[in-house]
Amino acid sequence: MSLLRYTLWRLAQAIPVLIGIVTITFFLANQIPGDPVEIMLGPTPAQEQVEAIRARYGLDRPIHVRYLTYLSGVATGDLGLSIYYDRPVLEMILLRLPVTLLLMLSAFAFAIVTAIPLGVLSAKRRNEPADHVSRIVSLIGVSTPSFWIGLVLIIVFAFHLGWFPARGLILPWADPADVRGAATRLEVIRQSAHHLFLPMISLGTLQMAQITRIERSSMVDSLQGEYVTLARAYGVPESTIVRKHAFQVAQLPVITIIGLGLSTALGGAVLTETVFEIQGMGRLIITAINNQDYELIMGTTLVFGFVYVIGVIITDVTYSYLDPRVTYGDD
Amino acid sequence: MSEPLLSVENLKTQFFTEDGTVRAVDGISFDVHEGEIVGLVGESGAGKSVATSSLLRLVESPGEIVGGEITFKGRTLFGLEEDASGELRPRDDMLSEEEMRREIRGREIAIIFQDPMESLNPVFTVGGQLREFIELNRDLSEKEAKREAIDMLREVGIPAPETRYDEYPHQFSGGMRQRVLIAMALACQPDLIIADEPTTALDVTVEGQILEMVKELQTKYDTSFIWVTHDMSVVAEICDRVNVMYLGEIIEHATVDDLFYDTKHPYTRALLDSMPRPDETVHELNPIEGVMPEAIDPPAGCRFHSRCPDAREVCREVHPEPRDLADEGEPTHRAACVKYDAFDVGYDESRPIEGDAAGGFGAGLTRTGGEE
Ligand SMILES: Nc1ncnc2c1ncn2[C@@H]1O[C@H](COP(=O)(O)OP(=O)(O)OP(=O)(O)O)[C@@H](O)[C@H]1O
Ligand code: SF4
Ligand SMILES: [Mg+2]
Repeated sequence: MSLLRYTLWRLAQAIPVLIGIVTITFFLANQIPGDPVEIMLGPTPAQEQVEAIRARYGLDRPIHVRYLTYLSGVATGDLGLSIYYDRPVLEMILLRLPVTLLLMLSAFAFAIVTAIPLGVLSAKRRNEPADHVSRIVSLIGVSTPSFWIGLVLIIVFAFHLGWFPARGLILPWADPADVRGAATRLEVIRQSAHHLFLPMISLGTLQMAQITRIERSSMVDSLQGEYVTLARAYGVPESTIVRKHAFQVAQLPVITIIGLGLSTALGGAVLTETVFEIQGMGRLIITAINNQDYELIMGTTLVFGFVYVIGVIITDVTYSYLDPRVTYGDD
Repeated sequence: MSEPLLSVENLKTQFFTEDGTVRAVDGISFDVHEGEIVGLVGESGAGKSVATSSLLRLVESPGEIVGGEITFKGRTLFGLEEDASGELRPRDDMLSEEEMRREIRGREIAIIFQDPMESLNPVFTVGGQLREFIELNRDLSEKEAKREAIDMLREVGIPAPETRYDEYPHQFSGGMRQRVLIAMALACQPDLIIADEPTTALDVTVEGQILEMVKELQTKYDTSFIWVTHDMSVVAEICDRVNVMYLGEIIEHATVDDLFYDTKHPYTRALLDSMPRPDETVHELNPIEGVMPEAIDPPAGCRFHSRCPDAREVCREVHPEPRDLADEGEPTHRAACVKYDAFDVGYDESRPIEGDAAGGFGAGLTRTGGEE
């Protein structure tokens, strides 16, 4: 099987998984005690009003009918109406998802760009001072919660030093007219980066620490490989050995850790958005839960599940691209 | 005889471990002439691999070459001298690490490792790896190196080399990978190839084919070889001259014929007797009694005395250096055993060692024959 066909095959396999996610979230969301209409209309609403609202959001129909309606809606891209925002769920998600993706992407970019050189350096200078420093830093990184890092960053760099804003996020593609103090696109991007910096570090530190650890141990292993000795015996320069011969083999476990990190980072993003008051998916899901907004809870959960599944597929496909020993199934 | 291609003088390599100093190679001397296959034989742990990686200065920490001299084509690969304060330091004419890498490794001396399964990089194509080393060591362009690589794969008997070129190591069998490693060494056109037990991991049929092929190619390219093995039948098959190693020392050196038909050292004798022969069953095999002692704290006197059937009291005290025991006009035949008159340390008057050691090898003969 070619890599392309393998990718398509993996995507096809994801469909039943996604149906499973939809089903589980649907029934779980409907098990939450309490009544959204009550929250909406207050404790003693008029009977007609309640019925009108129930009919509007389809809550008057039996649960299995609602389930099937929802499922077919999802298939056609209709995620229902948010009771709280009184807007289509999909619209809310399309508004918030880019914010969270931007945050996660920058956090991972920061993590990968710092962790890989650090891990390689650590492995190359094993048991030397540089290695000890990097290992202590990454040990602290994996054992510190991201919201705590966020709070410390805010206190030090926003309140005391005033170098970065403490809250909110400006999207780089926002209209300059809507951004205070920005006349040009470049200005918007600059402000966006300024806002993004602290949340990025807060969310990315754990990932950085984890990737550094794996990169180091994986490089240590591969630098001891017989193929490295062979390359040395044939006069390959040490820098090429580290950069090419040992490095490429060592990236396989690193890719797995990055893939797994995508799912933990989703949880981290919820906390980071709360700490930095960023209007992303994390805050959306919290609002949905607080207001028993069924459709919104289901929609946001579904998106999280979707991002997770895509993360796993990207990991698998990259892995099989890099490791020629991986076979793509039988047919 | 002409100047040797490689000459090794009193080479010592040690590992400085927490348990103590491992004297893995403890003062060995040998040489290799042009076009020769020289064997290095001995049991596991004798120091063969450490000796060969010392030649390329590839020994890694905690290991270090601590003494001796290695000369290759008139250049000093390793050599120490005393400075004014009596400290040892590298000699001025000793090649730098960078010179070793650029001018010696791969280009002049290539090595074939013991384990064909682990020696190739799993994430690069076989052809790519070959090409890289050829490019580096023969100053060819990428295209020329690729052509060279494919030719060499064909030469070592890999069918359809053009397609195999783009395949990965895991798509090759053990025997095929070993052929690739041999192709790698030959393609760099070095003057000397060190083969560290390249056929040990393979089955006998494949081993036979590969030995046959190496002999042919060796004649064709006139390359010299150091052939490391623990298998005396491989020695008989392929070598011109042989060095037998025991516990970091070379204890006998001779031409193959002399070694087999005029064996001098009791250890070599024991190795030969432990060789399986077609006219014997497994029960009649004569494995060498006992195990080789640790290289951390080698026994005093002759290092083989704890296992030697001919050991006498004097063997515990006198440490024999190899001496030439050949008659006038005969090729050199060195052995390190005090039972020969050349040593003249009173072996004949000395009493046999009492107890276990005296039983040593002789006891092993009867015991292994009778049991099971
Ligand atoms: N990295 C190391 N650290 C400590 N001791 C070592 C190291 N490498 C080798 N030695 C020791 O050096 C001695 C010689 O080992 P070597 O690998 O040369 O044996 P060999 O003759 O090649 O054996 P084999 O037939 O098993 O390959 C052994 O006692 C071994 O324990
Ligand atoms: S010196 Fe003594 S112990 Fe050593 S091999 Fe000769 S006879 Fe045996
Ligand atoms: Mg070995």
